Amino acid sequence: MANDRASLKSALRRMGPAVMGLCLLSLPAAAYGANTCPWINEATASGLLGRKAVGEVTEAAAGQPFICTFTQQDESGKRTLRVTVEIVGDSHARQGAIAQACGADVVPLRAIGNEARICAADEHKNRIGERVVGRVRDQVFTITIYTTVKDDPILTRDELKSRIYTAAEQISGNLF
Amino acid sequence: MRKISSVLFAIAALTAARYLITPVQAQQDAATPPPPPAYSPPLTGASPAEDTPAQREALAKWKEKAEQRTDADRKAHNATVIPSYNFHYGKGNPFTPGNVQVQGEGFLQPGAYPTAEYCGTCHQEAYSQWRQALHSNAFRTPFYRASVNILIRDKTRGIAFARHCDSCHNPIGVLGAALTEDSKVDRARFDSDGLTCMTCHSVVSLDSTNGNASIKMGVPSVIVDENGERIPGMVPFDMILRHPERHSKAVMHDFLHTPEFCAACHKANLPSPLNDYKFIRAFTAYDEWQQSKFSQRNPLTFYTADFTTCQGCHMKRNANALPDYGAKNGTFASHRWLAGNTAVPFYYGFDTQLNKTIEFLRTGNYLNVDIIALKKAGGDDLIAPLGKASYSLASNDTVEAYVVIQNKNIGHSLIPEVRDLYEAWVEFTVKDAGGNEIYHSGFLRPDGMLDPRAHSFTNRPVNDEGEFVDNHKVWTIHSVAYDNSVQAGRSVLVRYQFRLPADATGAFAVTAKVNYRHLRQSYLNNVFGKGHPAYPIVEIASRSRVLKIGDNAPEGEDPADNPDWMRWNNLGIALLDQFQYAEAVKAFTETVKLRPLYADAYINIGLTEIAWEKYESARLAIRRALILDPNSARALYYDGLLQRRAGNTEQEIADFSKVVKMFPQSRDARRELGITYYQQNDNPAALEQFEALQKIDPDDLTAHYNLSILYRRMGKSKEAAEQQAMFVDKKVDPGAPTYSLNFLRLHPEISTESIPWHMHSDLEENTGVGVAQNGK
Repeated sequence: MANDRASLKSALRRMGPAVMGLCLLSLPAAAYGANTCPWINEATASGLLGRKAVGEVTEAAAGQPFICTFTQQDESGKRTLRVTVEIVGDSHARQGAIAQACGADVVPLRAIGNEARICAADEHKNRIGERVVGRVRDQVFTITIYTTVKDDPILTRDELKSRIYTAAEQISGNLF
Repeated sequence: MRKISSVLFAIAALTAARYLITPVQAQQDAATPPPPPAYSPPLTGASPAEDTPAQREALAKWKEKAEQRTDADRKAHNATVIPSYNFHYGKGNPFTPGNVQVQGEGFLQPGAYPTAEYCGTCHQEAYSQWRQALHSNAFRTPFYRASVNILIRDKTRGIAFARHCDSCHNPIGVLGAALTEDSKVDRARFDSDGLTCMTCHSVVSLDSTNGNASIKMGVPSVIVDENGERIPGMVPFDMILRHPERHSKAVMHDFLHTPEFCAACHKANLPSPLNDYKFIRAFTAYDEWQQSKFSQRNPLTFYTADFTTCQGCHMKRNANALPDYGAKNGTFASHRWLAGNTAVPFYYGFDTQLNKTIEFLRTGNYLNVDIIALKKAGGDDLIAPLGKASYSLASNDTVEAYVVIQNKNIGHSLIPEVRDLYEAWVEFTVKDAGGNEIYHSGFLRPDGMLDPRAHSFTNRPVNDEGEFVDNHKVWTIHSVAYDNSVQAGRSVLVRYQFRLPADATGAFAVTAKVNYRHLRQSYLNNVFGKGHPAYPIVEIASRSRVLKIGDNAPEGEDPADNPDWMRWNNLGIALLDQFQYAEAVKAFTETVKLRPLYADAYINIGLTEIAWEKYESARLAIRRALILDPNSARALYYDGLLQRRAGNTEQEIADFSKVVKMFPQSRDARRELGITYYQQNDNPAALEQFEALQKIDPDDLTAHYNLSILYRRMGKSKEAAEQQAMFVDKKVDPGAPTYSLNFLRLHPEISTESIPWHMHSDLEENTGVGVAQNGK
């Protein structure tokens, strides 16, 4: 009996890597986490960031917006998509106030929500990004995509502009 | 070496297709795309290019790898999406409540569809038009999203139910398993393109004319091999340019030119799996077309026209401005699908699409507005037709104006489809010589809302509380309080009453316009909240006349006016639809006076008298029509009805059979002939007619009812039960009018709109309430 148990253990030990491999193979190619962000899912965020990203949310608290953050990090740096949504009385004014932080390079963005503007989000050294500030009815949203990867081959400036528009269309569409 | 260069070319071509075309976000800019790859079209009648053995071998290898890659991608996609997919309607019904189906096993990965940019490389005209058209924007617009999001957020429904809507608005998403709570699908790959090129051009079969996306989607393919077998995915452009005939075979099925293809989505119902209630017809532009003069399938239309399909109006050929290898003789079938939607191009800033839409609405000769008659209070005499009749007016006269709006050349109703959201109405004004308003109906209030007492060609769906379903929550609709749309070829009479001022002198301008707004203000408010920009209002048709205090003599004709016989005929049609049979007969009789050899005028008298149950005089009128035109299917149909009443079964069968022979797709003739055979206990003959009728109209209640009985008699209990179930599901809930009455009781300002014969007036003695001056 003991021998039997020992041989079973041995067999399991030998089979271990194979079983693990089979388990891994049976997992979907991109096993995304459960969707917790109401306005964009992890698969879409991953597509926008160029590689599989991980999402987390911070639910709205008093005076604080609901925040979804998707990050994709490796040794070369971090790519981030951050979404904030808040409901306010005068959403037009609030949207304008947030957009003021953009400075002078803010540009109106047509056909996103009720109204939206786009600007660069290069607040930090070694980081480039784009931001959209907009509103859908009484919901004010900000969307920021940025990268800390040096000379990022995926999120170039042009790509950032293109992808943030897509992100803005996704998010504002779900806010309608 | 050749293989390497071929692969490199393919990669370069596909990369170019992805990046060189104007990206989505810059659609408003008129960027000029780079020229398409060089191509010399084959000479007319030339044989297709002959492949060398090496080329055949290369193609076979490409096909094999493309199939392997597509299959592997599909399996991987299904492994990713199935575990978290909400099979709300069971594993076997992943796309319910939509009717869409897909070729092969499981969900179809969104990446299987060649992109619009890829197609746009060679079809630049089509691409540029499509990008601004409704089809490419079928999903992403706020007007759609606001509506479908309500369904998704509804606690009793959810995103699985949105497959009903998205089967037409976003089929790639539905077939790709994106419509589930915990979606694992990257939606940025397809949401912005709605109905992309390779959704319509990948459809492999039409399953029925049931609507709700009754199509089967094939695995997308832009070319077939020499055996006609589809090669999935994108291929290098040189492969297509060498064999354009194989490209056509893959993407240009004959059914794309038919109204039945459009019917797949331009016909919709609200099925019980969506509303937990019962089948409710949502809209059916297809059936409306089929019943119109343009289909040449219905012998009962008031007028006739050349056969015209949906595509004939909405995909007219125009000279192409951009290179397009699909063009024929320098023209291309429009992929703008111009129709009535001004809201989407207005929102996106698609000025070309917006201007062309407005032009389409204004120049189509779709409607005729005719201020045809006046009636003075206290008298029964109709002063008509205006322009030809002499009459006099005095100050302080109370005048009724009769305005006939004819749906003259639209192949469907005015307004079609989601008529709870679209808004067309009559704006009627009476102004003195100084431009001062004496009367105004159909004005816009300062908040953008339409005068609630305006005559609008709309409907009012209500829920089971009798509340107007204002925000398109279609799954809550239980009844329709009224539906004032005007069917193709018919006319409506709108009556206005006003009083000329006591101190009136000189002339007054009376104007009737049909305005159109896409969408109504309260729905725009639902989408954007209040304070949004004003959306375009288009005047589709109008007519003015001058009334003078004192004597009014006949005027010259306006070239846009209908001939007098048609004016009387349209008045008769409108009166018939308002159940004013005596007046309708009088109007049709005026048509007879002006056109005594026009058989249809007699038929119109006859059918009115049938409705009026004056069968003897109806017989005389129909007989007269048949003398003038013995082969008139329309006259024979009504004669059949009269022969039935007289008990002349043989002649009844002969009449209806002749109509069916001339118009095999006439649902009315099939129905009546089926009933005749049924009454004669000729079950096989009745069965043949009802089965044919059901092929024409799968929702015909008479067909369901009779087929259930006939099948049961034949021992086909399963088929009988199916027909019975469909009859019960589709028959209008007898309790539904209660919901409508609840609504109308709560809304007296518009309840008169539900009455066929009604008057628009701001005179206190008629409204019963003190109304501010000029109706405002």
